[in-house]
Amino acid sequence: MTSIDTSTPRRRRRSLSHGARIAGAIFISVLFLFPVFWMVLTSFKEQADIFTTPPKLFFDATVRTYTEYFTRADIPQRLLNTVIVATGAGILSIVVGTLSGYALARIRLRGAATFGVLILMSRGVPPIALAVPMFLVARNMGLTDKHITLILAYCTFLIPYVMWLMRSFFVSLPKELEESAMIDGCSRFGAFFKIIVPISMPGILSTLIFSIILAWEELLFALVLTSRDAVTIPVAIAGIAGDTETGANWAALTAVGTITVIPVVVFALLVQKWLIQGLADGATKG
Amino acid sequence: MSTDTARRPRRARTQWGDLAVRWSFMLPTIVLLIAVLAYPIWYTIEISFSSFDMMTFGAGEWIGWENYAYVIEDYRFWESLWVTLVYLVFALPIQIVLGFGIAYLINAEWGGRGLLRALFIIPMVVAPVVAGGIWRMLLDPIWGVVNWAFGLVGLGPFDWFGDPNLAMATIIIIDTWRWTPFIVLIATAALLALPRDVFEAAKIDGAGRWATLWSVALPLLAPIIAATFVIRWLGAVKMFDIVLASTLGGPGKATSVINLFIYEEAFRSLNFAESSAMAMIVLVLTMLLTGVFLIGSRKLEKMY
Repeated sequence: MTSIDTSTPRRRRRSLSHGARIAGAIFISVLFLFPVFWMVLTSFKEQADIFTTPPKLFFDATVRTYTEYFTRADIPQRLLNTVIVATGAGILSIVVGTLSGYALARIRLRGAATFGVLILMSRGVPPIALAVPMFLVARNMGLTDKHITLILAYCTFLIPYVMWLMRSFFVSLPKELEESAMIDGCSRFGAFFKIIVPISMPGILSTLIFSIILAWEELLFALVLTSRDAVTIPVAIAGIAGDTETGANWAALTAVGTITVIPVVVFALLVQKWLIQGLADGATKG
Repeated sequence: MSTDTARRPRRARTQWGDLAVRWSFMLPTIVLLIAVLAYPIWYTIEISFSSFDMMTFGAGEWIGWENYAYVIEDYRFWESLWVTLVYLVFALPIQIVLGFGIAYLINAEWGGRGLLRALFIIPMVVAPVVAGGIWRMLLDPIWGVVNWAFGLVGLGPFDWFGDPNLAMATIIIIDTWRWTPFIVLIATAALLALPRDVFEAAKIDGAGRWATLWSVALPLLAPIIAATFVIRWLGAVKMFDIVLASTLGGPGKATSVINLFIYEEAFRSLNFAESSAMAMIVLVLTMLLTGVFLIGSRKLEKMY
């Protein structure tokens, strides 16, 4: 096989495979995007257009499902809950995690590295091992169904994430930055807040956005720790998807799903360069 | 770390004030994680060795290994571990091979390359619970668009959620759809970073495609494949949302992965003590395997 391969003229083979690669890439991309496309499409269908054979690609679009579900009290409330919890958890984690990420990268501290490794190891802890005790403790303290409880629960996976991402970011900054600032009379805090933070703003903001996305999508803790007032959108979606009594409510599922996914897609595309960089760094350095 | 020795002389005049400032960077993280991470784990351990007191809704009497003995004799626990293992054994290799393969296709140089790469971000940020829900719709045996498409070419209809083996495949398909893009994005960056001259050299030496792939590309990629595997493994052992939204662990217990099983034992059957014991067993297993994988990936890195 090898000998046949090499004997073919080089240029022609390259251009052929080049075209095939592009065609394959486009085909697979279409395949991967189709579920999202179908979700958005279905969300604009009337009930009668959803359950048809063959499935309808063209139909009279309606926003009835949206108006129906978003004028009902629970869905907007759950969206608001999700916004509060996700941004709250994102901001708390970014503040705390940036500080400790900086400490691990730049400040010589006896024992800090041990904490760093322990925190990294916590990524192996199954969330269910945290959800059970959190539920019991929150229940006994009267803290279930509160935003703050969920925010604190999300810190368990967001802080380690932010800390290690920011650590690798700070390691890549030149040391002279804060050294010269400190020689000029800046305190350690001064150097950090006046020099390092402004320079790292793009990294901090995109890490914040990743954190918000992770919190936005979280299901298990929300399922366990909320019951009525602080219920988030993923819980609502799990409820709609798992509703076997009224049957498949695809209109609701796709409309609420679309509203959930769109802001995240917009944010993710905004920081896509960072996302890819962060992923690559995470894979090589983490 | 190398700066440690260079700075050593300065340590003599360490001021307590400065030490406090240094630690204050680390302290919020430590305090918060002790409260929300270390304490809950400790509490899980405590409950797992106790009987559960329904009156105080907390850990009751200390009963030693009884919960663990009970769990180890529970065939449903082993079944659920087996289901999880099957899922992992299929999903992880499929996703990694597919991810790197797609990355190779996507990296072909042409105008739309950046756009395709950006589009691959989209499935990655669809909330897993939404992914489970929409795939349940796509794969619906009667109204689903997938069965309709298979019908066009004379295949099916497939009972994606009713047949135990197919339901496992369904879970793996949904998971692969949701997570392969993540690997694609890592892999595109990794492939672009490969040194070109090595491939030129292989070509000049007359190496064929497969030979180049096996003995040039794979060894160069081995460390990043290993790292990707570890990251994906850490995500996959937490598998919960997709199953909950699509098969709910069914039919029967065919797709009841361990996290779903423990969740139901705890919050539906209210067996908090037994589920804590299960959670601890899973925690230890996960840690051990993660350790093994990490050591393995380090070794791989040194080998090449």
